[in-house]
Amino acid sequence: MLGKLMKYEWKSTWKLLVPANLLIVVMTIIATITVRLDVFDTDNEGIIFSAIIIILTYVGSMFVVMIGTAIYLIHRFYTSTYGDQGYLLHTLPVDKHHIIIAKVLASTAWVIVSTLLMYMSILILFNEEGDIFSRMIDNVKSSVMWSGTDDVSAFAVIMTLIAGMVVMFARVLKVTACISLGQLSNNHKLLSAFGFYFLIYIIQQIVNGIYYVILGYINTITGDWYYGTTWEYSLLTGLVYSVAFYLITWHIMERKLNLD
Amino acid sequence: MAPIVQCMGLTKRFGGKTALNQIYLNLERGRIIGLLGPNGSGKTTLIKIMNGLLNPTAGDIFINGLRPGIDTKYSISYLPERTYLQPGMKVMEIVQYFQDFYPDFRVDRAYDMLARLQIQPYERLKNLSKGTKEKVQLILVMSRDADLYILDEPIAGVDPASRDYILHTIVQNYNRNATILLSTHLISDVENILDEVVFIRYGNIILQAGAEQIRQNEGKSIDRFFREVFAC
Repeated sequence: MLGKLMKYEWKSTWKLLVPANLLIVVMTIIATITVRLDVFDTDNEGIIFSAIIIILTYVGSMFVVMIGTAIYLIHRFYTSTYGDQGYLLHTLPVDKHHIIIAKVLASTAWVIVSTLLMYMSILILFNEEGDIFSRMIDNVKSSVMWSGTDDVSAFAVIMTLIAGMVVMFARVLKVTACISLGQLSNNHKLLSAFGFYFLIYIIQQIVNGIYYVILGYINTITGDWYYGTTWEYSLLTGLVYSVAFYLITWHIMERKLNLD
Repeated sequence: MAPIVQCMGLTKRFGGKTALNQIYLNLERGRIIGLLGPNGSGKTTLIKIMNGLLNPTAGDIFINGLRPGIDTKYSISYLPERTYLQPGMKVMEIVQYFQDFYPDFRVDRAYDMLARLQIQPYERLKNLSKGTKEKVQLILVMSRDADLYILDEPIAGVDPASRDYILHTIVQNYNRNATILLSTHLISDVENILDEVVFIRYGNIILQAGAEQIRQNEGKSIDRFFREVFAC
């Protein structure tokens, strides 16, 4: 049943999110051509004005896709799980674990695709030398160094990327857990969900603060005070948060379901 | 054979409000049963608990001898009082969806009923009227070979002309060993198909009796009897 749930999750989301991500690609091409043509060197005000409009549209579309994807995925989870469509979803003969896994995997995949496309888009737009993938690896290496280690091995780079994906997974699960916690309220489900989100955010900031106080040190490479996080910390907290948020979501769906 | 539904001391509270108060109820197989009561009497709460959409505060409920879970969802075909289909889907896509998830779904039966009601399979649900969406949902629910059909207000949103067809559809398309639990306010429209009625008020079952038995003992229709019992 997990495969079927995944299939329908994909079919429900691709119609909006594929065009949204294509918009990133198209706007990147248009903006990159505009920048490469050196249009800002001309005296023609019309051309400069058009170029500014194109760049602003590029920036605007990035924000719209980024925020729109997040809002759409949150709205879709809410309506399909705890809204009217939840009456169908929760009467299907399927395991609640499968429902959560299908929804979270699909949402995380979309978030990763959009984030990656936007990241590549910015690199392409401002790339002057070297190929795009070398630049991406260099940036990951920089972030490994920024986290205070001079061990920029292939292993560290791969683990940094994996930690990044786990952190995104945990963020998606945080939203599902907060929406689920909001269902415990009889009257103010959405408001409660926001309340739980900020409560969890504060708890996470306290955990990060404790980490910095205990492990904060001077970066051996740059000599600066270090306030970043290592991939080990990101991976560990990402996994702990993922498990906690997953269990909250599952417990509420399985034992505390409260559809209006 | 054990009853299809057994409620034992079933209680549901929302905060300080009691929606179901220690209900004891058995529903037998092969019957069409009307679950009748005024607004806020606990009908939908009871139906949601049967479907695993709500968890009881106390007491127990068994469907086919099992507590609500994955196995009972195979045996229940449920029509809620609201539109639960994704509006962007086509009728044929939602038929495929039901076929994918319910092994007892009969595709040919669904398309036959859609054709009779002149509902085009390639139409998107969002383009259909509210009444037509309700018909599509009813067709999907009645195209399953379930043990228990739970229909919450199945005719409330459709025109009177379609009601007869829908009631005919319900009676014609269920397995004779199955039970239909039908919740509605429109008692006069459905009373001719009911074998049994359950009256519910303030979360308590106040009557469970055969439809014919009520008509004979009271000398009046169930609709008239209901109006007297629940008179404000």
